[in-house]
Amino acid sequence: MVNLTIDDIQVSVAPEATIYDAANAAGIRIPILCHDKKLHPFGGCRMCLVEIEQMKGRLIPACTTPVSEGMIVRTTTDEIMKARKLVLELLLLKHPLDCPVCDAAGDCDLQNLTYEYKVEKNTFTDEKFRWKIDYENPLIERDQNRCIHCGKCSRICDEIVSFGAYSFINRGIEAKIGTPFDDKLDCEYCGSCISVCPVGALIAKPFKFKARWWALKKVNSVCSYCSTGCQLTLGVKDDKVLTTIYDEDQGFHNGQLCGRGRFGYQFINSDKRLQTPLIRKNDQLVPASWDEAIALITSKLSAQKSADAAAIAALVTPRLTNEELLLFRKLFKGTLGTDSIDHSAGYAHTALTKGMKESFGITASPAVIADIQKTALLLVVKTDTYETHPVVGFEINLGVKRKGVDLRIISDKSGKLSKLPDAKTLVHKPGTELLLVNALAKSIIDAGLADASASGFDALKSSLAGLSLEKAAAATGLSVEAINELACDYAKAEKALILMPTGLAYPGHNAELATGISNLAILTGKFGKEGCGVLVLGEKNNSQGAADLAIHPTLGGMDAAAIINGCSSGAVKLLYIAGENPLVSYPDRTKVQKALDTVPFIVVQELFLTETAQMADVVLPVKSFAEKCGTFTSGGRSVQRIRKAIKAVGQSRSDGEIFASLIGTLSGTAVSADAAELLQEIAATTPGYEGLAFETLGDAGCVYPVTLAPKLIAVAGAEDVREEGKFALVIGSALYHCGTMSRFGEGPMLVCPEQYIELGRKDAAKLGVVEGNKVKVVSVSGELTLPVKVGLRMPEGVVFAPYHFGSNSINSITTGSPVTYVTVAK
Amino acid sequence: MSENATIKILICQGTGGVSMGAKEVEAEFLRVIAEKGVDATVGKRCDVIKTGCRGLCANDVLVDIITEEQGRVTYDFVTAEEVEKIVDEHIVNKTTLEKRKAKPYYNTFVDQQMRVVMTGCGQINPESLDAYLAEDGFKAVEQCVKQMTPATVIDEMKKSGLRGRGGGGFPTGMKWSFCAATPGKLKYIICNADEGDPGAFMDRSILEGDPYCIIEGMMIAGFAIGAEFGYVYVRAEYPLAIERLQMAIDVCYEKGYLGKNVMGLGFDFDMRIKKGAGAFVCGEETALMASIEGERGMPRPRPPFPAVKGLWGKPTNINNVETFANVRHIILKGAEWYASLGTETTKGTKIFAVTGKVKHTGLVEVPAGMTVREVIYTVCGGIANNRKFKAVQAGGPSGGCIPADILDTPVDYDSLIKAGAMMGSGGLVVMDETTCMVDVARFFLTFTRDESCGKCVPCRIGLKAMLDILERITEGRGEESDIEKLLEMGTTIKKASLCGLGQTAPNPILSTIKYFRHEYEAHINDKRCPSNCCKELLLWQVIPEKCVKCGACLKACPVDAIKWEKGEIAELIKEKCTKCKSCYDACRFMAIE
Repeated sequence: MVNLTIDDIQVSVAPEATIYDAANAAGIRIPILCHDKKLHPFGGCRMCLVEIEQMKGRLIPACTTPVSEGMIVRTTTDEIMKARKLVLELLLLKHPLDCPVCDAAGDCDLQNLTYEYKVEKNTFTDEKFRWKIDYENPLIERDQNRCIHCGKCSRICDEIVSFGAYSFINRGIEAKIGTPFDDKLDCEYCGSCISVCPVGALIAKPFKFKARWWALKKVNSVCSYCSTGCQLTLGVKDDKVLTTIYDEDQGFHNGQLCGRGRFGYQFINSDKRLQTPLIRKNDQLVPASWDEAIALITSKLSAQKSADAAAIAALVTPRLTNEELLLFRKLFKGTLGTDSIDHSAGYAHTALTKGMKESFGITASPAVIADIQKTALLLVVKTDTYETHPVVGFEINLGVKRKGVDLRIISDKSGKLSKLPDAKTLVHKPGTELLLVNALAKSIIDAGLADASASGFDALKSSLAGLSLEKAAAATGLSVEAINELACDYAKAEKALILMPTGLAYPGHNAELATGISNLAILTGKFGKEGCGVLVLGEKNNSQGAADLAIHPTLGGMDAAAIINGCSSGAVKLLYIAGENPLVSYPDRTKVQKALDTVPFIVVQELFLTETAQMADVVLPVKSFAEKCGTFTSGGRSVQRIRKAIKAVGQSRSDGEIFASLIGTLSGTAVSADAAELLQEIAATTPGYEGLAFETLGDAGCVYPVTLAPKLIAVAGAEDVREEGKFALVIGSALYHCGTMSRFGEGPMLVCPEQYIELGRKDAAKLGVVEGNKVKVVSVSGELTLPVKVGLRMPEGVVFAPYHFGSNSINSITTGSPVTYVTVAK
Repeated sequence: MSENATIKILICQGTGGVSMGAKEVEAEFLRVIAEKGVDATVGKRCDVIKTGCRGLCANDVLVDIITEEQGRVTYDFVTAEEVEKIVDEHIVNKTTLEKRKAKPYYNTFVDQQMRVVMTGCGQINPESLDAYLAEDGFKAVEQCVKQMTPATVIDEMKKSGLRGRGGGGFPTGMKWSFCAATPGKLKYIICNADEGDPGAFMDRSILEGDPYCIIEGMMIAGFAIGAEFGYVYVRAEYPLAIERLQMAIDVCYEKGYLGKNVMGLGFDFDMRIKKGAGAFVCGEETALMASIEGERGMPRPRPPFPAVKGLWGKPTNINNVETFANVRHIILKGAEWYASLGTETTKGTKIFAVTGKVKHTGLVEVPAGMTVREVIYTVCGGIANNRKFKAVQAGGPSGGCIPADILDTPVDYDSLIKAGAMMGSGGLVVMDETTCMVDVARFFLTFTRDESCGKCVPCRIGLKAMLDILERITEGRGEESDIEKLLEMGTTIKKASLCGLGQTAPNPILSTIKYFRHEYEAHINDKRCPSNCCKELLLWQVIPEKCVKCGACLKACPVDAIKWEKGEIAELIKEKCTKCKSCYDACRFMAIE
């Protein structure tokens, strides 16, 4: 520790601390405009100048200068005050005084400091800037006239987001923050730049003129899109969520959000929200009262239970809270006595519920998100990790750029992660992940780098004995050397972590692949230690919770695929869907359509009248995450609280309230829908959740502990079904979307509004198409005409499509295999 | 033929020489000598040798002919047409063309200097490794590796007292020792050749005239510090310097003077040129490193200092071209010899680029401690046009002005700082009575305002605000409080700015106010420019008492706004005058106001 004196206060801080940090520790506030704890020191605004006894005659920036032993610091001498006032006067000389119409007013660092330093008049006179304001992109309004050159937008975009949308351009007084060729902004719209802008130079267009800063109620919650588990603060006024508010002290991610987290909140108060229950009458869904709807559902459920409980099936979205999922399980497995419940199309959770379960004895990942920055070598399965979990992507960026993490990627295409410094991407043939992972295991064993004492070693070794690295190399399209190199580097790394996203778009990221990557970790002892292990990230905000609570058949009931088949075959007579949209998000739309057409009775609980809801017999409007309390469990095993921010939209009830009332009516015993009570019950019955309670979770949440029982398990890859002469269609997630819910958030739809197909440059050239042209994509199960996006990242012969969209949905031509072979023609 | 039996024809081919037609002159010499079979005629080999700059670029093309009989004779302003005559007369007939010889002042200019750093410049062929080797080239690095240790090399540098020639004057040996002391396998040596001060061109001349000495200097630094990679950051506006240095680097790689196991000495040294993109601020070491890294050239906060965390986060040592050029001489001739030159605190010699209203402009290398007066009057021949000396601006846009009454200030780091100026890279801009000091301050501030990178507030907006005030003053709209405002702002901007640019940019204002406050006051209070320089404040009339009736103003006026008859006092017709100042500049008697 280093001891120093600041304004006569003795303070002792870590040697790497700056004077600014030390002052903070001593409770002394030093004004800043350009400093951000997440970013590299900049030292541009010169507001934090202080005097140091040992460096007399100069003014020293507190935010960039490290402390040293015995320093005597003064933070408020006359000279300092004069300098700070000069800085403010100079800034105000050019900064327009349009505070009354500026969105940042009230939350503006410049405004607040001007007030604090009592800058009433300006010694100087000059004209204001007349830079053209960029209104031309959908989400971020850029007014360079207000910019104070703190550089935070450009720095965060470069250092953390790794996009690099901004840079300083020009010199001297003409210097400004520019975009490439000073054109309109065209980026990935995460809005990180807005969050750090200390003034109103960058504002969120959707929030413009919606409310004054001070009129907003701030409610802490958790993002309801992916399983990263980003905390967020909702800005609420008049029972409407009007914005998300940046709080740099929030969560592991320091308040950073991705585009959908920041701009995707509009679904909460969307006009399209269901207002009342709907009941199908004369083949029309018409508004009904809750009593009527519940009575109808109860009678149907009760009748079916008496007739054949096993013909009741239920699908639920892992977007619900843990507490609601518990009630869902109780309703169907308990009260109604059916084991046929599932979520995520059945396959998207098996990596956790089967893969991790068998390999490590838990239904969660042995590693947590914090391990990303602590590891030495990070192996990412599929570059899509950035698109599925963008803020995890930020963590990877930081790990690589700041902590020197050696990033390796195995993927069917390149991607943003591939562009990180020294990242090595092995682009393999689509659908050969498991073969590649097995080849890596074989290479590790052959090189004598494996731990032969690991449980199941001999069985794995003998199962891999027949695997030829040469053949694997040929099948994956890689070289034996590349496979050996990766295997060797992984095995020899001091610490290594494997990261794999799962989700509806990734049927191949299943139990087998999870077991395969777990084998690598177990073979080399890379688990159960800091910076080591396997991190399997679920797709939705509470995918992990759904896995932990076993929301899937456990007693031989039908899984999601069987339920869909059962609907068509008559095995399922009543289908209850809570929040899932199988018609769009499950494989093979034709098949799902037929199932929903056939099954006699469908109940759908939804926020919106989705494609699936439109086919229901009863539709119940539910509350969004902003209207209820409860907990989500992140992919990194962090159990975090969401809080009610607004009152229910329309007549909506929470999914939990509906399940509780059904349980009460059906069983005759009332159950509580109170989240705090339900969490107690979860804590008492769910491994890892022991002792969790609302009060103890607090704002930070709690990463629950796990005990690992590692075991090597032999897994064989599926057979190669490659079809020569056709394009390999791989589906995935678009960066701006998550599942099908983001379609109702304005922001994501402004940036990415429709289904498209992404082709590599060479393929596009061969087909004679350019961006925006339409192509006909034909598979064995259907055909679609889709607009083309041309991407550098696609290898020849591989095409990509996201799966979120209802019209022209990609599941019209896919059937749930990891790769679909298609023809593409102009 | 023995070495003694040759005739050497040295043709100055620095940028100045080349632009004056040195290439054509060289071609003509080669042609004439070959066609006339001069070698056979005189019985000696005539070597036509291109050399670097020798300082007096105003007199290019300079040709030195060295023969046994006549010794060294310099011809100046040589054109290709004259070559045949020179060959015929001087070389064949052995008669010196007295009328075409450089005037005595040329010899004074040369003889009054002390050439250490520039020994090679103007004497040897910069494109020839052999020529460099003949001048004990690469002996110094050999000596370091074979007979010394990194620590003793650093000690030698410390003992020599060499201080950084880039302007800051930080002791070089000390700087090397910091970087040497930082642990790390990978370290970098950077040579800062982003010479940006208006009028300064000593670094360019060294790179053009003696590129191998920079390579050797950097190798020695690399050996001393433990760095195996060197960058030379040269501004792209120096194409010839880049070409010659690149040629030298290529030859060194080819002949084993760079790369793995250099010269068989068992140590590795690689080198690369990074071209600058025209930003003055990239001469600032942290901005320079950012630029090499491919980032926008903007200064970064220090600490961490480059010696600890520099280029790509690795320990880095940055020195200026002239500093590296000193190194081999110190090693070869010893620290004691070097320390015997110069003053107590500034050792060795310093190159100055003398420009402005002085008779002979050019590069001069003098021992530190010579007075400013000696440099201007003895070496450079005094003030042009017989006008009165007013001040000399030292240190470029970051420096300050030295007025007539302290003209005996010695040129060393500390005396110049004391005088309110600085050594800087060694620019000396001489000003006479026609130079307005407010206008000078305005000129330099225009430069720094334009070259500010835009990162820190005091420099970005503060310099603009100060410039606005200065412009107001020179346009007759100054206010009484302006001087105090400028002083206060200037002092704060110096203290509050991030890098050297902002920290020194107010110097020209502060020093001109210090020494020439009365000129500011005249502008503000009387709305007059005492030097009759600020256009807006000129009365546009002839002063009858001063007019000598020469009519020079009439000839200069492009719009017939002067009425003059032989023997009459001139008259300026205001209605026709376009205020172009041609008459003012033409009048040698200061008769226009």
